[in-house]
Amino acid sequence: MAPADPDSTEALNARRLQWRALLLLLMMALILVGSALYLMWVRGAFEATQPLYLTTDDSDGVSVGMDLTFAGFPIGRVRKIELVGSGTVRIQVDVPVKDAHWLRVSSVYTLERGLVGAARLRAFTGIPDDAPLAAGAERVVLRGDVSAEIPKMVSDARDVLQNVAQLTADDGALGQTLVELKTFSGRLNSAQGGLVGALTGNAADARRVGELLAQANQVLRRVDAAVGKADQQLLGREGLVADTQATVRQLNGLLQDVRQSVQKVDAVLKEVQGVAGNAREATVNLGDLRADVESSLGKIDALITELNRKWPFAPRQQEVTLP
Amino acid sequence: MALRTLAIIVAMMTPATAVSNAVLGAGRGAWRWLGGWWQVLFVGAQLAVLTLSPSSWRGHPRAQVLRQIDEAAAPGLPGFTLLMALFNVVVIRIVVVTAFAYGLSQYALDAVVRVLVLELIPLAAALYVAVEYSIAGGSQLYKWRRDGGPQRLRAAGGDPLAHEVLPRVLGAMFAVLLLAALSCVISLVLTYVAVHGFTTAGVASFNRAVGHIFNPAVTLIFGLKTLLFAVAVSLLPVANALRDIEHRPSRTSVELQGLVQMLVLMLGIEIASLVGNYY
Repeated sequence: MAPADPDSTEALNARRLQWRALLLLLMMALILVGSALYLMWVRGAFEATQPLYLTTDDSDGVSVGMDLTFAGFPIGRVRKIELVGSGTVRIQVDVPVKDAHWLRVSSVYTLERGLVGAARLRAFTGIPDDAPLAAGAERVVLRGDVSAEIPKMVSDARDVLQNVAQLTADDGALGQTLVELKTFSGRLNSAQGGLVGALTGNAADARRVGELLAQANQVLRRVDAAVGKADQQLLGREGLVADTQATVRQLNGLLQDVRQSVQKVDAVLKEVQGVAGNAREATVNLGDLRADVESSLGKIDALITELNRKWPFAPRQQEVTLP
Repeated sequence: MALRTLAIIVAMMTPATAVSNAVLGAGRGAWRWLGGWWQVLFVGAQLAVLTLSPSSWRGHPRAQVLRQIDEAAAPGLPGFTLLMALFNVVVIRIVVVTAFAYGLSQYALDAVVRVLVLELIPLAAALYVAVEYSIAGGSQLYKWRRDGGPQRLRAAGGDPLAHEVLPRVLGAMFAVLLLAALSCVISLVLTYVAVHGFTTAGVASFNRAVGHIFNPAVTLIFGLKTLLFAVAVSLLPVANALRDIEHRPSRTSVELQGLVQMLVLMLGIEIASLVGNYY
């Protein structure tokens, strides 16, 4: 076997080495280009967006690149923050067109700052069927700042603490009440009358209250006896209640008789109604009869008048002269 | 009496002389220090010009550059990548578990990417290349120069800077950039797996978070920092090899002194990047 040519081996090695170096360069180029494209993609360089302008009077906590979230999902990114003429801050948010349908005309935007963590820009859509938000729309941001509430809270807490301090001071209302309570409890524990003595204030009155209670006791005993007697008279065998019960039974029988009588009266009344009906008919017939009679009388009257006119012996003088 | 007066005068003059000597010494040291950095800058400028000139990319210099690129990057690539992957897994696990324990899981991804990808990986890649390749290469270059290599090369019609120095610098720079870039990509993948697991459900939020972190300023600072690390690691040993370092009464070797100088420079770059990123 012929020995390998050192020159050709060296050239082969050099070529292999160059190829490896070129592969490394290619790998480097791929990584760099891939990383650049990936970063551009994740930053939305290849994505169609529409601007949304949010105005607020304080943009503290808002930074370029921060997200606008809807229901916890980022749907936009702050592109620019600028101070406009009227002293308000205008925040330009780029919303990808594919996410813009979450925002409606009636959507509300808030800027919230918690005690911990960065500020959050959030969107709320109450009416999903509302008209979609137009590109370039301008809306006002509602601000909710927890840290801004702290000074007010501290001020309120200070007022409360001052009130508590005034209450609990030696000459405060609570202190005086406690002193009074202590006096009262001392009187309560003293041997002069106990609770009654504490209530009345002196021993004489307490004694009088005791006598009053004894007399009231006697009165109660008498009332008790009177009530016993009244009970006997009222609820005893010969008592008022037993008599009343008998009377009620009699009344019940009487009422049954009355009901029967009333039923008879009712029948009579029905008959009377029939009679009355007949009488009404008779009255109508009487009217007709009267009309006939009046008609006949009219005719007789006319006949007599005619006779008088034609009768030769009829007086000429038609009129009767009264003396 | 005269002797006594002389002693007093000498005693009065000694402190002044010592102070002036100290000031002169400090001035000479500062001058040397400035001169050393100027040498580094000057060599760097020459190499930049050579890099941009087409003659450096033709024939023998190009083959030398490719050879140095292969020597600098290829041997350390698998080992460093594997080592950084293991280190990434440990750090990611610690950060993610701690963040979950404190209920700050939404910041875990942010912290991991910022700590690992933006800060630690470029630094580790630069140090690895410095220890593995560029300091040793600087030492070889120094020996070659001491043995009259440049004169022989010039006699043969070659340019020492273009033929020997530039390939080493470019190789080291390329190695730093390649190792850092590859480890950053692997670190991002490992971070995704550590936070979301083996599912594609979290890709959208992960992309969003990465896009949020790598805003234009941060990306620019990250790129510049990695490039400056690469320049520092590749240029300093070479520049030190090209100048005569005065023998100092120090027990540390010249290579170690060069490493310390490199570390100081990298620390400065790191501080500047931190200031740029977070202030």
